Order: sequence, then structure tokens, then C-alpha cells
Amino acid sequence: MPLTLDVFLLILRLLLIVLLYLFLMQVVIAITRDLRKTAAANAYADNNAPPVVGHLIVVDSGPSNILPGTHFDLAPQTTIGRGPTSTILLHDNFISSEHTRMWNRNGTWYVQDAGSTNGTYVNNQPAHNPLPTKAGDIIQVGFIRFKLA
Amino acid sequence: MVRRSSISSIKRYRWQELGLFIIPFMILLLEMTQLLLARSLRTGVVPTSSLTVKNLPTIEGLIPVLGLIAVLLAINVLLSFTFPKTDQVLLPLVGLLSGIGVLMATRLGPNLLPFPDPALGSRQLLWVILGLLAFLLTLFGLRNMNWLRRYKYTWALFGIILVGITLAHSLRANLDSPTHDQLNIGPLNLQPSELLKIFLVIFFAAYLSENIDIVSGGNLRIGPLRLPPFRQLGPLALMLGLALLLFLGVRELGLALLIYGIFLAMIYLGSGKISYVIGSLLIFLVLGFIGYTLFSYVRARFAVVGIDVIGWTSKSEALYQKSGGGFQIVQGLIALANGGIIGTGIGLGHPTFVPVVQSDMIFTALGEELGLAGLFAIIGIYLLIIYRGYRIAIEARDSFNQLLAAGLTSIFAIQTLIITSGNMKILPLTGIPLPFLSYGGSSILANYIIIGILLRISHNTAMEREGLA
Repeated sequence: MPLTLDVFLLILRLLLIVLLYLFLMQVVIAITRDLRKTAAANAYADNNAPPVVGHLIVVDSGPSNILPGTHFDLAPQTTIGRGPTSTILLHDNFISSEHTRMWNRNGTWYVQDAGSTNGTYVNNQPAHNPLPTKAGDIIQVGFIRFKLA
Repeated sequence: MVRRSSISSIKRYRWQELGLFIIPFMILLLEMTQLLLARSLRTGVVPTSSLTVKNLPTIEGLIPVLGLIAVLLAINVLLSFTFPKTDQVLLPLVGLLSGIGVLMATRLGPNLLPFPDPALGSRQLLWVILGLLAFLLTLFGLRNMNWLRRYKYTWALFGIILVGITLAHSLRANLDSPTHDQLNIGPLNLQPSELLKIFLVIFFAAYLSENIDIVSGGNLRIGPLRLPPFRQLGPLALMLGLALLLFLGVRELGLALLIYGIFLAMIYLGSGKISYVIGSLLIFLVLGFIGYTLFSYVRARFAVVGIDVIGWTSKSEALYQKSGGGFQIVQGLIALANGGIIGTGIGLGHPTFVPVVQSDMIFTALGEELGLAGLFAIIGIYLLIIYRGYRIAIEARDSFNQLLAAGLTSIFAIQTLIITSGNMKILPLTGIPLPFLSYGGSSILANYIIIGILLRISHNTAMEREGLA
């Protein structure tokens, strides 16, 4: 029996709908797999992460009136700046309102400039992109220099 | 060393995205084949009785779809080398919707009433490709999310200026034409409101994230409602009021609804307080009632929602016959009914009896030719896009990025809700496009810019999770 065009078009139409739903199914499966993966990764990170500790110690206060030797505690997500919402508030004219972001991932502190005017440096390297740091590194925020401890 | 880097680049390749692209590509090719066959059936080139390989459409007809597929694949490869960690699900979903949009424009163009427009499909394809370029530009150009946050008043100003120009422009033109929100620059016909949505969301996100403590504190009491202090509420209310006024000025009801919806969604997300939402909804009802009593066109829109299609009384007939009345909606419903469960098949229905079917009423054309099953699948695709957008928002690293992603996703959600329910006579019909499916350049560009911002946020989150950049 030859295939008539009407029948062929009907088959195409049904195939189209089947494919649409197959696609939806595929996406849902991909999404659930993603969800499981992130959940597992988060659980792993929560169970294995050591308690986050870190301090910034002022070694050179630059033009500001912060005393050298001052301790600042780091939160897992820390923002440094002049703005009132910053975790570490620095009153200095050479500090932007949002100057630097620091965060801890798997025990390493990362430093990134938050679009400041006078820049952020890790061991004299500009931190436009996130830079990993280790204890003892010198982090310069504007003209104030900190040691990570 | 070379081998190692090649292995890592194979591992980093966006296989998931590539895998998810396969079925959409098949769907698009299949639909195009069907459209070409249906066309040759209508023109009588192919006899219905027999089907041979000779009668099948040649590969030339498939070139537009193949072009779109090539562009999407190129983007898949490009992103694998530049943004391997960003979200891999959104692009296939959006690509499929745009592809269906291009196909529907190709299908509707030559049959449009009263003016056939055979080039509609190729123009839509061009817009989609330009949209994908805009997507890439946004993704690559948005190096620093703080640009969006810091210059919030600049963005807001941009949006207001854009719409102000249109307002001045449209006041000179005839106020009775169906859409006023248009800006004609040479051959281009732009809708600035599409960009205004994005600017407004950026402004709201930046403003709310900076004042989040104060806004959710709520120390101004009016009866049982606690409102944030006026100093913090002022700029928000001002922006909202300006945007709404502009649109009531140009009689764009749908956009006013959309902007108010975005505002509600974002203030709820920012403060987490249901009382603000209830309060704003009450204000909205009052405003709606005032609008209803003041403007006759609002009353006309509502009257159409009440039209009795099944009983078909003399009142329905009068509304149906009235110019600017129920004709469009009723024809849309007939088209949907004609589609049935599996639809007539692409190119085999008569969706062009519905006025403006290519943009505002595209949902009814899809309903007629893909059927109820196809519509459910399309709504499913929208749901997945919206789910994915909110997921990106949840995982984002700070409140600004979270609010931005959630707000941009809300644009899709609210827009789809308003226009689909408008098409189905649940809400008054308003002229806003269905994201990615409706014909229209500015809408496609704006939607792809939104996708670009979402993927950029997703990329930033992933980079931070890896602890690298």
C-alpha cells in the first residue's frame, strides 16, 4: 500500500508532539541530575569544611588613621569598603564604598577587587580577577596594607 | 601537556547542552518539512494520493532552519571554550522556542490578512540571529556586574528617556492606532518598552539590594500595614509611578500591568513580606477601578472578557461586530477549537483569520496548528525556563545578583501569563509579545539580552564555587 501524503502528514504531526514531550522529559532529567549533583556537592562541602577562620592584620595604615596591628575578623563572605553595608568598614578617603570582596572556598581565601578606584593588590599583583591567597600574603586595599592570618 | 589540555577541554565541553540541542533540531527540521509539504499540498504541486521521494521537499527549503541550527551549534562551541561552566539548559529551551517562532512567522507571513508578507519569516530569522549576537555581546561585555549596580540611576534615566521620546512621538501620531509604543528610526520599528523593562529591573534590584534591611524593617504604620519609610520608598514609588504614567499616557495597558507585576514580584523577593504584596494589590485594584471608570477603552476590553461564546446571545453578536470589540478574541478561540488535541498540523490550519496573529495572538496560531498537546508542551518549556531562571537566582552570590536574576525571570513569567490568558479570554487582551515566539525585533533582542545577563550571573556563581576565575 503506498503511503498517502495525508497519512504521512499525520505521522509527522504525531512525531512532532512525541518529540516535544521527549525534549521536555530530557530537560527535566537533566535538571534533576543537576540538582542532585549540587546537593551532594553542598553536603560534601558542609561535612568536610573546617571551620572558617581568618583575620586581616593592618601592617601599613597608609594615609588613614587606622592603627597598624589592628585585627579584623573575616566572615566566609566579606566585603571591605567605606559603604555602611561592608563587613569590614574602613573610613578612609582612598577607599571606595565597595572596595574588595573576599570569600572562602575549600579553605582558601579568594580576593577580588569590587570595582574600586584605587585598586586591590595581592602581593603587589592587581586583583581584578579572583586571586587565591595563603596565610602571610600581603593584601593591599587602596593604600592600606593587610597581612592575612 | 598538549594531550592533557585537549582532554580537559573535552571534559569541559558543554556536552549536556549539545545533547539537549539534538531533539530541538529534529523538531525544527521536522516542522519545516511538514510546512513545505503542506504548502505544496495547498498549491497542488503534490498529489494527495501518492508519496514518493521525488515529491519530498528539496533541501533548499530547509536552509533557514539549517542556518539557525548552525548558529546555535557555533554558540555551543564558542561557549565551551569561553564560558564552560555557565547554565547549559536555558539555551536549548530558548533556541527551540525561537526556532518555532521563526517557523510560525514563515508559515503565517504569506497568508497574512489583509497584507501578505512573504518575507516575515526571513526577517524573524534575522532578528533571532541578531538577538543571539546581542546575547553574546551581553555575556562577553558584562565583565563586571557592579556596572549595573553602581549606575542604577543612569539606567533608570535611560529607560525613562527612551519612553519619553516615544511618548512625545506618539502624541503627535494618531492615538487610536493599535500600538503607540513604537519608535521609527529609518526602516527600524523599535519598541522602547522592551528595553525599559530590563532597565527597570536593574534599577529595582540595585535599589532594593542596597536598602534591603530598611525596606524589610517596615517602621511606618498605616492601619494594619507596615510600610518602609518614605525616604526609602520614594525613589521606588517615583520610578514605578513614572513608568505607569507613561504607559497610561500611551494607553498601553498590558505594559502597565507587566511593570506593576515586576514591581510586586521584586518587592516581595527583596523584603520577603507578604503584607507588601497584599497592600500593593489593593492599591492596584483601586487604580484598576479608577482606570475602568475613566477610560472607555479599558471598559471595552473588560466587556470582551465577559463575552458569551457558547450561548452566543445578541449581546455577544453586538460585541463581536463592534470595531475594536470581540472579533479578534472570538476568532482566536475558534482557531484554538479548530486545533483540537493534536492540532491541524503546521501550514494546514487557518490561523490568519485572527487579526495580528503574528505577534499578539501567536498563541492561538500555535494552538490551532500544534493542538492542545503542543500548547501544553510550549507552556512546559516556559515553565522550565522560568524554573531555571529562579534556580540561577537562588544560587547567585549576593542579593543584587539574586534580585536581578529573579526579576529578569519574572519578566518572562508575567509576560507569558498576561498574554496567554489574554489570548484565551481569561484576562483582558493586551498587546504584549509572547517571549521568543511572537514576531518582533525589539522583543527578541530584549529577551536575548535577558538570557545573556542570566547566563553571566550563572557563570559568576559557578566560577566562585570553583574558587577560580
